[in-house]
Amino acid sequence: MSNAMATSPEKHLTARGFCITSACWMAVATFMGLLGAIELVAPDLTENLGWIVFGRVRPIHVNLVLFGFVTPGLLSAAYYFVPKLLRTRLYSEKLGLVTVITWNLALVAGVATLAAGLSQGREYAELIWPIDMAIVIAFGLIFFNLIMTVKQRNEPLLYVSVWYVLAAALLTGVTFALGNVVWQPDSGALVGIPDAILLWFYGHNIFGLLLTPLSAAVAYYVIPRACRAPLYSHTLSLLGFWSLIVIYTHVGTHHLLQVPVPTWLKVVAIVDSIAMVIPVMAFLINIWYTARGKLGEVHADVGAKFVFTGTIMYFFVSIQGSMMALPQVQRVTHFNNWVVAHAHIGVLGFAGMIALGGLYYVLPRMTGKPLYSRFLADLQYWLVLIGISGFAIVLTIVGLIQGNAWLNGETVYRVLPEIHIYYITRASLGVMIFCGALIGLFNIAKTLLAPSGENA
Amino acid sequence: MNMTPKAVVIGSLMVLTAVVLSVIVLPYADTSKTTASDIYRPRSADEAAGRKIYIANGCVYCHSQSIRSIDWGLGAERIAQAGDYIQDRPILLGSERSGPDLSQEGGEHPDDWHRGHFTNPRYTRPLSIMPAFAFLGDAAIRVLTNYVQSLGFKNADRRMARQRRWKKSAVTAYEAGPEANVKWLADHVPEGWRSVPNPYPTSAAGLARGHKIYQDFCLGCHGPVGDGMGPAQPHLYPPPLNFTILKGRGISGGILYYQIMNGITGTAMPYFKRELESEKIWDVGDYVAVYFINQSDANGKPRGIDAAYEP
Ligand code: HEC
Ligand code: HEC
Ligand code: HEM
Repeated sequence: MSNAMATSPEKHLTARGFCITSACWMAVATFMGLLGAIELVAPDLTENLGWIVFGRVRPIHVNLVLFGFVTPGLLSAAYYFVPKLLRTRLYSEKLGLVTVITWNLALVAGVATLAAGLSQGREYAELIWPIDMAIVIAFGLIFFNLIMTVKQRNEPLLYVSVWYVLAAALLTGVTFALGNVVWQPDSGALVGIPDAILLWFYGHNIFGLLLTPLSAAVAYYVIPRACRAPLYSHTLSLLGFWSLIVIYTHVGTHHLLQVPVPTWLKVVAIVDSIAMVIPVMAFLINIWYTARGKLGEVHADVGAKFVFTGTIMYFFVSIQGSMMALPQVQRVTHFNNWVVAHAHIGVLGFAGMIALGGLYYVLPRMTGKPLYSRFLADLQYWLVLIGISGFAIVLTIVGLIQGNAWLNGETVYRVLPEIHIYYITRASLGVMIFCGALIGLFNIAKTLLAPSGENA
Repeated sequence: MNMTPKAVVIGSLMVLTAVVLSVIVLPYADTSKTTASDIYRPRSADEAAGRKIYIANGCVYCHSQSIRSIDWGLGAERIAQAGDYIQDRPILLGSERSGPDLSQEGGEHPDDWHRGHFTNPRYTRPLSIMPAFAFLGDAAIRVLTNYVQSLGFKNADRRMARQRRWKKSAVTAYEAGPEANVKWLADHVPEGWRSVPNPYPTSAAGLARGHKIYQDFCLGCHGPVGDGMGPAQPHLYPPPLNFTILKGRGISGGILYYQIMNGITGTAMPYFKRELESEKIWDVGDYVAVYFINQSDANGKPRGIDAAYEP
């Protein structure tokens, strides 16, 4: 790739790079999820294949979904729209490409190390120190590139999407380093209860300070444009942004309500989990009122359709989340598949849908040529939507069976046959989502590689 | 409010700093001073190495190490305390229970049970969905077992001492031949139980239920025909009992019930009182008696008042 190309603003090379990154890793990530689901149905299918034993497949799946599929998908859109919103070009496409490459190397290394059993054993913070550092550096590069883009802007006002992207890159860089305890390269952990508190502070901020703000940024960009309507309210944008950063960061301990951590910290987590209604509704009201009476326009653009669906999922996952932070509710829901349902509604239904929407919205605009196939994008939409809705239903049922049986004194082993059939259904739904990922990869690759792009 | 780049960057960093101070640093001042709980002891080098294998293979995604006041299952005799975790780097609380909690697993079973179970969990637990860990190799499985047997610290050590003590006499009895072994087994059933026959009559429905329970809970050890040759057999010593040797040796329904309910500490035979309700234990006991021992005292004397459901 020549320098001239790399610096040509029309090419949006960084955005393209993250776009194909996201599409490829979505296929791998959902495959790993499907593999894990199958192992829960037929555990001896992969007997003696140590590197894909369930306990290694699961962190590979989760890390790839978060850092391989969703984050790069959202970043791809951000790398396109941040310069657009600032009426300038990206500060450095070269630096952007270095970021894309660093990011992908980190992912490949992450898969290889986890499969080899090199794990730090902390959920969402499994990756070993060198990979952690690569990711911290990547977030640093992202922030630097964007803030320099802001510096050279021709548009004096920063639109709300820009606030969210800047804050997400900066704050995640910091919390990622903190949460992975990078000053302890060997273990990447603290000791005892403080380790749990820090881990879940960080773990929840992956959703609260990375996925949610980036998704909000994409929605704030796509929906008003697709509707050709001004954003409903600047005040709500402000309220949503600041309350998100203040409140979301406090709630990590709601993962530890049944653990001996200080009671006052649990109270803070519970109260703020309820208070999460403020940033959630500020954002949603703003988006939904912007789109009021314009759903036809939203529907007409497949990207906007994905994004809008994601905002509805955000409503459900957040209301559910606030409920789940109540200790009385958690007596039933904690430790079982109810939480897995919630995690999928959040990460795939909300952030994943918006990531796909962002990709489909910016892809024709950054390549200057139409999407290869609207039909395939719609097909993917339905496969993912049916898959995730099915997940939500099936896994919630499983969670209720497990939670209530346990409360009633039944052992884990006794409940296994009761949930078997649901695990089969879940794996079948996983096939749909995996097919959706393959179709998306095909569609996106075809669009990117279409020859007309050369003279766009 | 004018959202300049400075306002966004400095403002959000300030908020984050304040939050870190209040929800991380402030509790740390308190939680970092946690002292050891009553059961706490340091881990041996071998146990620490086993913990590494536990981490490398993602056991934490299926097993919690944190017992709550609302739990009934394994280890629920003791609720987790902060002082249990003071050497855990990282702490392995877990967030999902695809399998049971393990924080008090030490001494629940003897080592040979774990060897069979890790080789392939379906050997000892036919319906398990836990992955097989034979690929780790025998040496690693031994180290992993040592770690698992240390979970619960001093409580685990006491349970392990009990396992070892009874293992010795179970092995001695087994090696002395079937006659002595059956006698040893029966002698350790409390007197009252030995003279109790199975109070419920044998019925087709009862045998069908017993068959189902046998398949789901016992088959991997005692084998499909009750001769003790299930897939777990090569890993267990003393091996699973061959039920056919019990014929004519005065095994009452009460003995079967008691052994299934309470298990035989020191041998791989687990207790089932948490998993099987009373009726299920009588049913599987009678199934064993009828099909494998070929001799059942069901509904024999002394008899009480027949239960209301009996036809
Ligand atoms: C897919 C989830 C899964 C993974 C991964 C897993 N287990 Fe299990 N485990 C289970 C299930 C389900 C059971 C209950 C059935 C049984 O006993 O096999 C269980 C049971 C156990 C038991 C027996 C508890 C008892 O006394 O009844 C031990 C010990 C155990 N697991 C240890 C481990 C270790 C050590 C690892 C990692 C090397 C591991 N497990 C990985 C699911 C899992
Ligand atoms: C993990 C392997 C294992 C499983 C599972 C298992 N057993 Fe056992 N069982 C044993 C062993 C080992 C012995 C004792 C052998 C000895 O000491 O000689 C035993 C002994 C017994 C005895 C004692 C008989 C006597 O005369 O005292 C009975 C009864 C029995 N098992 C029934 C069952 C039933 C019923 C189940 C299923 C509900 C079951 N076992 C599941 C391994 C197992
Ligand atoms: C108001 C908003 C939300 C609240 C109050 C909330 C609350 C919670 C709670 C209480 C748990 C822990 C459940 C338990 O362990 O018993 C949880 C888990 C989880 N949440 Fe949310 N949630 C919210 C939104 C979201 C969103 C938007 C996402 C995704 C983008 C998300 C992703 C997850 C995931 C992945 C887990 C599983 C964590 C694990 O591995 O245990 N949540 N949430």
